[in-house]
Amino acid sequence: MINPGAIVIFFGSLAVLAGGLVAFLRSKLAIRMLTIFFVACHIAFTLFCWIHLRETVLDYFTFDPLGVLLLSVLSLLTVTTVFHGFIYVKAESPRRYAIYHSALIALVTAMSGAYLANGMTSVWIFVEGTTLAVAALIYHDRTPLALEATWKYVFVCSLGIALAYIGILFLGFTVGNGQMLNLSFNSMAEIAKQADPLYLKIAFVFVLVGYSTKMGLFPMHTVTVDAHTVAPPPISAFISTTLMNVGFLAIFRVYALFSLTTIAPFMNRVLIFSGLLSLLVSAGYMLKAKHNKRMLAYSSMENMGIVAISLGVGEIGYYAAILHILLHSLTKAGLFYQMGQSYKVMGTYQLDESGNYIKLFPAGAAALLLGLLCITAIPPSGMFISELYMLKAMVIRGDYAYLVITSLLLCFVLYAILTRVLHIVYSQPRNPVQLPDVKVSPWQTVSQFVLFGMVIFICIVQPASLRDIIHEIVQGLPK
Amino acid sequence: MNEFVIIFFAITLIYFSITERFRIYVNLIAIQGVLLFALSFLELEKITLGTLLFVAIETLVFKVIVVPTLLFRIIRKTGEEKVHEKSMPGFYSLLIVSAGLILSILVSFSLKTTPGNLIFFVVSIFAIFTGLFLIISHKKVFAHLVGFLIVENAVLLLSMAIGSQIPMLINIGILLDIFVSVLILGIFVMRVKQHTSELTMLKDD
Repeated sequence: MINPGAIVIFFGSLAVLAGGLVAFLRSKLAIRMLTIFFVACHIAFTLFCWIHLRETVLDYFTFDPLGVLLLSVLSLLTVTTVFHGFIYVKAESPRRYAIYHSALIALVTAMSGAYLANGMTSVWIFVEGTTLAVAALIYHDRTPLALEATWKYVFVCSLGIALAYIGILFLGFTVGNGQMLNLSFNSMAEIAKQADPLYLKIAFVFVLVGYSTKMGLFPMHTVTVDAHTVAPPPISAFISTTLMNVGFLAIFRVYALFSLTTIAPFMNRVLIFSGLLSLLVSAGYMLKAKHNKRMLAYSSMENMGIVAISLGVGEIGYYAAILHILLHSLTKAGLFYQMGQSYKVMGTYQLDESGNYIKLFPAGAAALLLGLLCITAIPPSGMFISELYMLKAMVIRGDYAYLVITSLLLCFVLYAILTRVLHIVYSQPRNPVQLPDVKVSPWQTVSQFVLFGMVIFICIVQPASLRDIIHEIVQGLPK
Repeated sequence: MNEFVIIFFAITLIYFSITERFRIYVNLIAIQGVLLFALSFLELEKITLGTLLFVAIETLVFKVIVVPTLLFRIIRKTGEEKVHEKSMPGFYSLLIVSAGLILSILVSFSLKTTPGNLIFFVVSIFAIFTGLFLIISHKKVFAHLVGFLIVENAVLLLSMAIGSQIPMLINIGILLDIFVSVLILGIFVMRVKQHTSELTMLKDD
């Protein structure tokens, strides 16, 4: 029998070794081979985590259902991101090629650690790691815009992490003088039970605001929007899904721990408030968006708002939140990959310069339309189910005001995305620009069809295993 | 003695609001590092010797020597000496920061803290306020970096205020956070200077 702890150490060492080696290699073939080897090891590690589900290893890691589920999404999207990354950085210098892949390996490793961390301290350290790794990726194109987006991202995330840490420190006030503050999830659950509700409320607000820098919720959304707009498309796809999931997971962990205390109604109100504001801000900016990737970045914010509201309304909303975060990851990744291809074909991200995509690249246009169907939660998109469950939870609770506001804001979002994407696909560009002489193979859209296909499949057939695992994740939350 | 040191720390925070020269900002950050070490030393009975050694490295080595050296280097390389001329005038900054101090006292008294750590708590809340105020009231990225360092100092002060022992892993995390953030942000500040010392290109229009 293999010791799970040894496997975790082995995988961590392998990731550090692979990332370090890739940074110094100058042969693109060797970098590609080593990156593919790392991806294969990550998939094997994810399978290993499923086999050892619910086990805690080395005190610092736990293979709990939510962590392993998000790790699986990460594994899947690592495959597609690495594939699209190979194409995106094909013409780069060997040095930049190496930095890109080294940073990507570091990011995947840090995110895996954050998903599997068994305490607020380890989550906090791995989240810090993701910020550092992603900085190199956002800055990859070395443009003034990339510089600005990276600086803001690193700065605000570091500040956010400091704020989250202040939240964690407030828990320390409930531990006696001179005693060691243990921040493993089990220990935190015990602390929370005895804690003064006022300190718990302060801790939750700080943690929510701090990790919102990762999750992209209001009021810390601006840097994530900028970063997703400016980063290379495969990285935008990666960080607007799996990295946002890291922020969600950190907030969810604290929410789950505090939900059995008297502050549960307070947390729900804060989450709904933050979610509605995220929805309002994203709807407003999407209606005036003139940059295709920026529109998708605001769409990510909108979807995180939906997740926060779903969590806040509870009941079947818990299920909706987990399902939505999974489906959003698949859909948004596919859309960002497609945005990268549309840029190659049309030579622009500006809405007014985009158009006639159906004639320029039919396979890409078909993928974009399918992605549009999925992200707008129009049946047979699986996101229709999660959004329906969220609205149903509001009806069950009798929160009709939230129901009306959310539905209205979703209508604005729907209008904004539909008009813009349909313009890109069917209309002539308002300000035509010289088209680049670049051919994109229709085969490169296969990964997007696979991801969108999975989202549609989940609408039609929700596998019992998926339902069971989500029910297990939310079973400890108050009814 | 603790009270004198912590009050001196609060005075440095007020000084941040009225000064305009970046060199003074850096000197104040270094002074705060010395004060934080002094506080850790005076709190020796409450913390272990290992933690004290760690705090000595964190405060005296990093906050007093490494970080200010790095910041002075940034000032030399970028030639940025003063805050933006359109920044909020010192008088108004002083008024707002003073209001922040009163607010911090009110917030601290409304929480049920023990009298022993009340003053630590007040000043750490005040430091968070001042750090965030410095970030939002200044246009130049260097001032933002200093604001971030003040918030990090506030975190260290708050961890002293809670009384319970903080795991070493967290201390290592904080140290890593400060060092890497300043290093990376420092590199970016110098690159930002090649284009502009403000960051206003990414907009929704």
